[in-house]
Amino acid sequence: MIAITLKTLWARRRRLAGTCLAVLLGVAFLAGTLILGDTLRANFDTLFSSVTGGTSAVVRSATRVDPGPASPRGPVDAALAGRVRSVPGVAGVQPVVDGLGQIVGRDGTAVPTMGPPRATNWIADERLSPWRLAEGRAPRGPDEVVLNRGAARTGGLRVGDAATVLTPRPVRVRVVGLATFQGADAFGGSSYTGFSLDGARRHLARRPGEVSSILVTAAPGVSDADLAGRLRPLLPAGVEAITGAQQRDESISSVNQGFLDLFRSALLAFAGIALFVATFSIANTFAILTAQRTRESALLRALGASRRQVLASVVVEALAVGLVASAAGLAAGIGVASGLKALFVGFGFPFPVSGLEIQANSAALAVGVGLAVTLLAGLAPALRSSRVPPLAALREVAAERVTALRPRALAGAALTLAGVGALLAGALAGGGATLQLTTAGAVLTVAGVVALGAVVARPASRLLGAPLPRLRGVVGALARGNAMRNPRRTAGAAAALTVGVGVVVMLTVFTASLQASIRRSVADSFGGDLVVSSGGFVGGRLDPRLAAEAAKLPQVRQATGIGTFAALVGGTSQEVGTADPTGLAGVLDLDMAAGSIGGLGPRQLGVAEHVADAEGWRLGTPVPVRFADGASETFTVGAIWRGRGVVVGDYLLPRAAAAPHAVRDVDATVLVGLAPGVGLAAGKAAVERVAAAYGSPAVQDRQEYADAVTGSVDTLLTLVYVLLALAIVIALMGIANTLSLSVHERTRELGLLRAVGETRRQVRAMVRWESAIVALFGTTGGLALGVLLGWALVRATAADTALEAFSAPPLQLAAILAAGALAGVLAGLRPARRAARLDVLTAIAAE
Amino acid sequence: MTRDTTAPAVRPAARAGTPAAAAVRAGAPRGAAARALGATKVHGSGGTAVRALDGVTVEVEAGRFTAIMGPSGSGKSTLMHCLAGLDRLTSGEVHLGEVELGSLSDAELTRLRREQIGFVFQSYNLIPTLSAIENITLPAALAGGRPDRAWLDRVVDAVGLRERLAHRPAELSGGQQQRVAVARALAGRPRIVFADEPTGNLDSRSGGEILAFLRQAVTGLGQTVVMVTHDPVAAGYADEVLFLADGRIVGRLREPTPESVLDHVKSLGE
Repeated sequence: MIAITLKTLWARRRRLAGTCLAVLLGVAFLAGTLILGDTLRANFDTLFSSVTGGTSAVVRSATRVDPGPASPRGPVDAALAGRVRSVPGVAGVQPVVDGLGQIVGRDGTAVPTMGPPRATNWIADERLSPWRLAEGRAPRGPDEVVLNRGAARTGGLRVGDAATVLTPRPVRVRVVGLATFQGADAFGGSSYTGFSLDGARRHLARRPGEVSSILVTAAPGVSDADLAGRLRPLLPAGVEAITGAQQRDESISSVNQGFLDLFRSALLAFAGIALFVATFSIANTFAILTAQRTRESALLRALGASRRQVLASVVVEALAVGLVASAAGLAAGIGVASGLKALFVGFGFPFPVSGLEIQANSAALAVGVGLAVTLLAGLAPALRSSRVPPLAALREVAAERVTALRPRALAGAALTLAGVGALLAGALAGGGATLQLTTAGAVLTVAGVVALGAVVARPASRLLGAPLPRLRGVVGALARGNAMRNPRRTAGAAAALTVGVGVVVMLTVFTASLQASIRRSVADSFGGDLVVSSGGFVGGRLDPRLAAEAAKLPQVRQATGIGTFAALVGGTSQEVGTADPTGLAGVLDLDMAAGSIGGLGPRQLGVAEHVADAEGWRLGTPVPVRFADGASETFTVGAIWRGRGVVVGDYLLPRAAAAPHAVRDVDATVLVGLAPGVGLAAGKAAVERVAAAYGSPAVQDRQEYADAVTGSVDTLLTLVYVLLALAIVIALMGIANTLSLSVHERTRELGLLRAVGETRRQVRAMVRWESAIVALFGTTGGLALGVLLGWALVRATAADTALEAFSAPPLQLAAILAAGALAGVLAGLRPARRAARLDVLTAIAAE
Repeated sequence: MTRDTTAPAVRPAARAGTPAAAAVRAGAPRGAAARALGATKVHGSGGTAVRALDGVTVEVEAGRFTAIMGPSGSGKSTLMHCLAGLDRLTSGEVHLGEVELGSLSDAELTRLRREQIGFVFQSYNLIPTLSAIENITLPAALAGGRPDRAWLDRVVDAVGLRERLAHRPAELSGGQQQRVAVARALAGRPRIVFADEPTGNLDSRSGGEILAFLRQAVTGLGQTVVMVTHDPVAAGYADEVLFLADGRIVGRLREPTPESVLDHVKSLGE
C-alpha cells in the first residue's frame, strides 16, 4: 500500500509542487531565523571573549539602576587604581574612562551612528581591548584621538586632520590614528573615539579623579577568582570586583536578553505567521487533491483496501511531502541565514565566527515544525478520503462533495460572535484581564472568520464579481461563476490571504494609531515652537550648554533642555526625565491633574497620572529614588499630569536634583519657545546657528518633530511589511495552486469553451479574473479582520502605552486592497497560461 | 423509430454535388460547405506512427445532413475534428467555404469556430456555471456580439426549451442538456454544425428527439449538419452516409435507412 502511495505521489509530483513550496518557504524562514540566531549567539560569545579575554578582574561601581545592556554605571575613585596595583598577584592595572564621543565630520555635522557613539581611553594592551590600530599611531597628547575607520571615512576625516568630538562638550582634537574592531571598520553601527588616558579623564570624566572602571590582569599563577577575592577587601562600599569571566557572561547575557532574544522572537513570530498561513494553503491543496481522487479511493476500497489503509495512504503522502519540503526548506534556510549574515557584515557588523552555527536541535525543530504543519493540514482531507464508500467508485461522482454548509455556518457564527464578544469585553473592560481576553478573542475571531469563509464565499464572490460581466462580458461572467461554483475551495484559497492580510492590516492600524497618538501628544503638550533633537537614540547626547546658549538669543523666549536617565524609582528601574521645572512649564502643557510643573520644588518629583494611580501616590507621597552613582534620596510627589506621550515620559525630576548624580549630564531634546513676533523661519535660523557649534543637531518645528518621531515608526512598519511579505507570497501561492488544480479539473470544460470559440486570450483573462475575485475576497476579509483586531490591540495596549487615538488610515487600507487584487491577478498568471495552453482536442477527450 | 416525413425538402443545388474527387478539384460546386483534399493525418512518428486519415478527399454538401460512420479507429472522429478546425492535418487541405484551414493561426481558427461552426459533443456539452440561455448564446458572447433575436427564438422554439432557459445544466435532464447543446450549435447560424455521437449518452427516446431536431435544422432551417455516429438508426436520419475504415472513405450511401445502413456495414465487414 505504501509503495502504491509513493508511486501515485511521484506521478502527481507536479500538482504537489505548490504544496511543497509553501512548506519549504515557511521552513526556510524558520530555519534561517534559528540558524542566524545560533550564529549570532556564537558570534557574541566569541566577540566578548576576545574583547575581555585578557581581563582577570574588573573593579567597578556596584550600583545598578538599569538592567539594560548599554546602561553605564557610576564612576569609581581613580585613586583606587594605585591601591589595586599594590595588591600581590596583580600584574597590571588599566583604568577605563567611558563617555560619549560624537564625531563631527568635515562638513560640520555629527557622523550619524546607529548605536551609541562611544569615547574612551585608548588601550594599547591587546589582551584588554579589541581595537587595533590600522593606520597612524596611538594618542599621546590629551587632544589627540584614534577614530574607528568607518566613522572617519563617513566624516571625511584622515590621519592628521583636526576635528571636533562632542563629549557632549565640543572638544577640538587631532586625529592621529584609525582603528578597526576585529578587522571591521566599526562595531555594529556605533562609532569609537579613543583618547589618551589623560585626555579621557580631562574630556570624558564628569569629575577629575573619577574613572568608569579599572581592568586588572593577574600575575602568573593567580586565578581570576583568587584575584577578585584579594581585591574585594580593599574596596570601599559601593564598589565591587568581579572576574573577567563574570563580566563577559554579563555582557553576553545582556546582549542575549536585550537584543538577540528580541531579534529572534520577532523573526520567529513572522516565521510562525508564514507557517500558519502555509497551513491553510496546504490544507486546501490536500483537500482538493483528495477530492479529485474520490473515485480512486473508492476503487481501492472496492478492491479490498481497508478504511485504515486509505487513511494511511493519505497520511503517508502528507508525511512524504512534509519531509521532502522541510528538508529542502532547511537547506534553503541555511542559504537565508548566510545571506542575512552577509548583510550584517555588509553593515559593518564584526563577524569573527566563520561560517554558520547550525545546531542539531534548531535543524530538528525546523524540520519537525514543517512536518507537523503538513501532517496537520493533511489530516482532515485524509479522514474525509477514508470515509469514501466503495460504491462511489461506480457512481459518476462530482469531484467535490457539496455538503450542507449549515453546521459550518452555525459553528463559524458562534466562534466569531464569541471572539468579537471577547474582543469587545477586553477592549472596553480594561484592567488586568484585558490582554488575555483580547488574545482569546483574536484567536476565536480568526477561527470563526476562517470557518465562515466557505459560507460567505459564494455571495461574496457574486458581489465582488458583480461588475465583471458588464466589464468583461461573458468571460467575466464565466470567471465570476467559477469563483462561485465551489465556495469551500474559494474560501480555502482565500483563507490564507485573509490571515496574512489580517496581520498586515492589524499592524498598519496599530502603527497608524501610534502615530496619531504621537501627533496628538505633540500637539497637545508641546507649547513651544522648535525642538532641537539629538536623534532617536536613548539618553540623548546634547550638551546642556546648547539650551543655555539658545535661551540667550533675542529671538528665543524660552529654551529648556530635557535629559533622561535611568534610576530606581520606588525600587524599580525607570527612565526619568529631568529639566528645569520653571523653564519647562513655559514650553510644555501637560494637562495637570494635581500640582504644577513650574512649581516643582527641588525635592519634588512629577509623575504621570496612570503611574500615580497604579502606585497609589498622591501629592506629597514620599518616593525614594536611587541614582546610578549609588546615592539614594527621597522626593515627594509634587505634580501629577494627565497628558502622556513622547515629550516627557512618566517621571520628572528637577535638573538641579538629578544632574549631580547622573553618569552623564546631557540633554535628549531642547524645547524652544520663540519670542513674540519672531517668525518661525527666523527663529529656526537663529537656533540653527547656535546648534552648529554642537554638531548641527536637527532643529525642527512642531510638524517636523512629529514627522521625525512618527517616521521611526514608519521605518519599523516597513520592516514588518518586508517580513510579512513572505506570508503573503505563501498565501498567493496557495491561490495559484488552487487555481492550477481547478484548471486541471476543468480540462474538459476548457476544451469545450475553446471549441465553441473562446480564444486563448479569453481563457487567460477568465482564469486571471477568477484569481482576482478570490484574492479580493481574501483581502477584503483580511481587511475587516485586521481593522477589528487592530482596534482591539490598540484598546488592549492603551493602558500600557501612550496610545490614545485609533486610526484606520483609509489610503493605506485602500492600497492594501488594490495590492491584494493585483497580487491575485499575478497569482493567476501561471494557471492562466497553463489553461490557455491546453490543446483543444486533448482537453475535450480528457476524462 | 420512423423517419421524419418532412425530410427531403433539401435545396437542389446541394444535391448537384458529385462525390468524385476529380470533380471537386476541377471546380468547387457552390453547394460544398466543407471540403477535404487528400487529407492525411499521422499520429506519432517513426515505428509507432498511425495513419488516422489516409488521403481522404470528400466534400460536405451545404444544406444537407451528412453522417460519418465507421468502426473505432477508422478515423471518423479525426476527419470531423480536421473539418471543424479542431485538429490540423499532416498533409492535404481542408476548406471551409472559401477558407483553407491549414493557413490559419490558432486565433483565426478560434474565430472561425465561433462564427462559422457549431458543435454538439457526446457529453459534457455545457458550462455548468452558465444558465441554458447563456450557454446557447455563449459563442456570440465570446465574439462580443449579440445573437440574432428572431433566429434565436426560432431555434429555442425548435428544440422546445422556452420554459427552461434560466435553468443551470445541473437542473436539466441529459436529453434537455443535449437539446441546449444543439440550440447552441445552431444559434450562431453557422456554416456547418458538427455533431460527435450526439446521442451516445442518451436513452433511445431522448436520442430520437435530438436526431429529429438535427434533421429539422437541415430541413426546416436550411442548416448543414455533419454527424459522427456508430449507430445505424442515427445514421438513418441523414441524407447521406460516408463510411470510413482505416483512414479511407470506403463507401457512401444516399437516402439511407437504418436497414440499408446496417446492410452496408455488414457488407463492409465481409
